[in-house]
Amino acid sequence: VSSARTALGTLLLLGAALSPVAGAAAQGKPAEPTPTAEDCLGCHADKDLKRSAPARGRPDSLFVDQTLLKSSPHARLQCVACHTTAMAPHDSPLPPVRCAGCHDKARAALSEGVHAGRAAAGRAPSPTCTTCHGTHEVRPAAALTVETCAACHRTQVQVYRGSVHGRSRQRGDLEAATCRSCHGPAHTVLARSNPRSPTYHLNLPRTCAQCHADPELAKRHNIPIANVYELYMDSIHGRAVSRSGLLVAANCSDCHGSHEIQRHTEADSRVFPANVPRTCSACHAGVLAAYAQSAHGRAAAKGLSTAPVCTDCHTAHQIRRVEGAPWQLDVIRECGSCHEESLRTYRDTFHGKVTALGLTRVAKCADCHGAHTILPASDPASSVSPAKLVTTCRQCHPGATAKFAEFHPHADPANKERFPRLYYSYLFMTALLVGTFGFFGLHTLLWLARSLIERLRRGRPGDETGGGS
Amino acid sequence: VSAPPRYYFRLNLYHRILHGMVIVSFLGLAVTGLPLKYAQTGWGAWLSHALGGPFTTGYMHRFFAIITFCYFALHLGYVARLILSGRRGIFWGPDSMVPQPRDLAQLVQHVRYFLGLGPRPRFGRWAYWEKFDYWAVFWGVSIIGASGLLLWFPTFFARYMPGWIFNVAIIVHGDEALLAVGFIFTVHFFNVHLRPEKFPMDPVIFTGRLEEEEFRREHPEEYERLLAEGRLEARRAEPPPLWLRNFSRVVGYSSLAIGIVLIWLIIATALR
Repeated sequence: VSSARTALGTLLLLGAALSPVAGAAAQGKPAEPTPTAEDCLGCHADKDLKRSAPARGRPDSLFVDQTLLKSSPHARLQCVACHTTAMAPHDSPLPPVRCAGCHDKARAALSEGVHAGRAAAGRAPSPTCTTCHGTHEVRPAAALTVETCAACHRTQVQVYRGSVHGRSRQRGDLEAATCRSCHGPAHTVLARSNPRSPTYHLNLPRTCAQCHADPELAKRHNIPIANVYELYMDSIHGRAVSRSGLLVAANCSDCHGSHEIQRHTEADSRVFPANVPRTCSACHAGVLAAYAQSAHGRAAAKGLSTAPVCTDCHTAHQIRRVEGAPWQLDVIRECGSCHEESLRTYRDTFHGKVTALGLTRVAKCADCHGAHTILPASDPASSVSPAKLVTTCRQCHPGATAKFAEFHPHADPANKERFPRLYYSYLFMTALLVGTFGFFGLHTLLWLARSLIERLRRGRPGDETGGGS
Repeated sequence: VSAPPRYYFRLNLYHRILHGMVIVSFLGLAVTGLPLKYAQTGWGAWLSHALGGPFTTGYMHRFFAIITFCYFALHLGYVARLILSGRRGIFWGPDSMVPQPRDLAQLVQHVRYFLGLGPRPRFGRWAYWEKFDYWAVFWGVSIIGASGLLLWFPTFFARYMPGWIFNVAIIVHGDEALLAVGFIFTVHFFNVHLRPEKFPMDPVIFTGRLEEEEFRREHPEEYERLLAEGRLEARRAEPPPLWLRNFSRVVGYSSLAIGIVLIWLIIATALR
């Protein structure tokens, strides 16, 4: 015990030198002997020991559970190490413990963060060291969990527990994000509105990328898109956020949510196909209004899983400028992934061939059918309905007439029922080709064989006179 | 030791210039048209971009089409002039391009010769396969030209014709072009240039003249008819000058090479 006290004395002296407050307290009453743990526990081992008057924000019980203390990292510390002004006995309540005497770095870090800021601004609730780390049962940072944060951030943690991150954690997945993974170390935690915060709008993609830029992690967790960060940063959203610093451009959480984040296969996910139009419409409200009226929008609203939503054409992360040729050409293939027949017949036309060669100056799917407003030809409001077709053709062919619009841009010459004229034209041409090549192919082969034979026989090919010159 | 070979004219300058126009326009149309037909293949896309993309090749294609229409008109004018000048035997007879019973008989006889069942027919001025080539150009230019014009001026023609005619025009233009290209670059090349008797090239289309020995071998009926009628000497020609022979080689081999590369690409695509 005596050696421990010597050590404690040294520690106290050190504390006195470092901390002016603690130093003043120590110098204030130099004559009194410092009480030992036995002295303190003489009273505080009583489980029924209570405050004479309740103190705001502090427990009524004054019982000190020694077993908790002994199992904590502070097990070897004397009571006076923290309660520096304590006397045995003492009449007035002791002032709050100041951890900063030993944990200076933590104190300094805390002062940078929003938690200490709240206390400094006098806003309640304002967490102190003990709010998170406890008192006598003090826990190291590594032992703290989301439950610690839940003490104040109850709603957020509750939502988090149901998220893919929270549920993975519960299953024992140590790679799943917790509060600190996104918000940063607890002491320096900053409000989302602070430009230095990892959750600040412009910083969030980088924060998510700590895990989601790793293709190995994606593989381990069955995340289908491994290069999601790369794709996003190159997208119109990612460029707007990272290069232009636009706060209105979507970052990860604008689409995926934050605490409630779910896999896209979960029906309550913001990126579940059926929910995608609503998610995108948070910014693109006008597009949703048009899309909802379209054939695709109506089918999606009916819950048809094959109905295309925003991401099917625009992709999820690699969203590109719609004015650019790369997207305009790729989306043709995307339309064709459902409308296979239409794409095949489109490729037979000049329009389809020019776009296949990488130029966009001819009609693409959306130029005739519309994009978000797409409707079947049977719908009078459709841009390809009989009533509107000529107007649609005239966008590019100003002289187009009703007869001009009788051209079928998706004709299939193999379809005898729908296109008999084309079918028989095609049949005639095929017969002509097969007949001509068949006849002359044989003619040529026979001639070649005869010429070679003659050449071998006479020394000079096909020479009727038999002589040479 | 032997006397220098005697040469005779087979084709006049007008024939040769017109066939020169045929070569230039046909190869031009093939080189600028096939990349669009085969836009989905790697070589089609490469060739299209190498020539400046589909719109540039489109302009070039129409330029060569104009040459085609020109030689077509020039030839019709030539025939009209012959008729007006009172030339006989244009529509019938040994010098006519019109198919005649003798051509069918010579075809049968030629096939029998291939099979070793008889002697080689004694061909006249125009053998049956040469007549076929001639009429194939008539047919091809009419069909491809008409369908091409429809597709060139769709809004104009749509004033008088139903829109589905353009669907038919796309099929006809493309398939007929394939027939023409396939036929010229295989059958015509073989019949005229690549068969062992002529290999690697018959320059008569450039020089206009052929050696007596070849005249007697390839067109014995004509040779003997001219000889008998005493008109052979009127066809006598100087040997082709060196520059003309070199010109023949350069243009001829280039044309053959372009055609063979194109037909090889088409066949490779079809077999893929």
